Amino acid sequence: MATPSLRGRLPRLANPRKTLKPNKPLILANRVGERRREKGEATCITEMSVMMACWKENEFRDSACKKEIQDFFECASRTQEARKMRSIQDTLGESGSLSPKKMNKLLQRFPNKPHLS
Amino acid sequence: MAAPVLKALRSGLGLVPGVTCAVWRVPGPAQVRWSRYGPEFRDPLVDKEHYRKPETELTEEEKYDQELKKTQLIKAAPATTTCSVFADPVISKFTNMMMKGGNKILARSLVTQTLEAVKRKQFEKYHAASAEEQATIERNPYIIFHQALKNCEPVIGLVPILKGGHFYQVPVPLPDRRRRFLAMKWMITECRDNKHRRTLMPEKLSHELLQAFHNQGPVIKRKQDMHKMAEANRALAHYRWW
Repeated sequence: MATPSLRGRLPRLANPRKTLKPNKPLILANRVGERRREKGEATCITEMSVMMACWKENEFRDSACKKEIQDFFECASRTQEARKMRSIQDTLGESGSLSPKKMNKLLQRFPNKPHLS
Repeated sequence: MAAPVLKALRSGLGLVPGVTCAVWRVPGPAQVRWSRYGPEFRDPLVDKEHYRKPETELTEEEKYDQELKKTQLIKAAPATTTCSVFADPVISKFTNMMMKGGNKILARSLVTQTLEAVKRKQFEKYHAASAEEQATIERNPYIIFHQALKNCEPVIGLVPILKGGHFYQVPVPLPDRRRRFLAMKWMITECRDNKHRRTLMPEKLSHELLQAFHNQGPVIKRKQDMHKMAEANRALAHYRWW
């Protein structure tokens, strides 16, 4: 269903309809809401479990599990770089409208004028 | 927040960019640790070889860069930067972590005494050992220092994550700098807290470093305790979202 109309919703003496009684003044704020972040998931679980299995067998000695530890570190650095690339992509390439951060910066510089002068 | 206002004030008054006038400070919380340099300042380059190159060997880019630096503002190099061959970033970081109340002289003297103590102990062992053992004994204190700290670095860390009103210790991979920091922090805390009051810091530190070099001692034990906790909580790894 389309958004219900806001026409004639302010309480006036001649208004028979159900009115809205907002608790804050109806003035545009100088910020927009943030994008909902995607639900991430835990990374490098397999490497971690392999490493921990190796630890359990070798009494937590690092010298016996060098290969697994190396794999775990490599996985961690790969995910870190992937995350950085993704965040750079988000900041650089905004198809359509601006990202919320840039919009907020712009609105901070040129705020809404509720007054006239 | 105050930065754009300050900048407007600076340009409005016609001051040279980079000079902050003390009188026109905007009232508000004082910025204590932020850099007082404007964005136009360049970082200094501390490299003897770069400046010793003769004119003929410079590439086009380097010549342009040199000409450009004559007009640009450059930040002052911090007092601790050296181009000395003896300067070690790990030792510098460790000295800074040992320092209390800005007493760098004391911290640096403690670290040098520690390295000397390590070297003396190793030389005593060397002279007392047989020929086969002498090949295995490491006498360079810097190598011992680096290897000991590398042995103390944890592989995986624990992070408290709030879920369902409770904090769970979730195993999480740590970045390199965090691991190095933890190794140094554990070493220093161990030496400060768990030793006899009258023993001197170089003595305690040298003992701990040698133990860590051989994968023994309380700091290695602390690292292994962290690993054991992570292993016990491995099912909670799915609470991570990164």
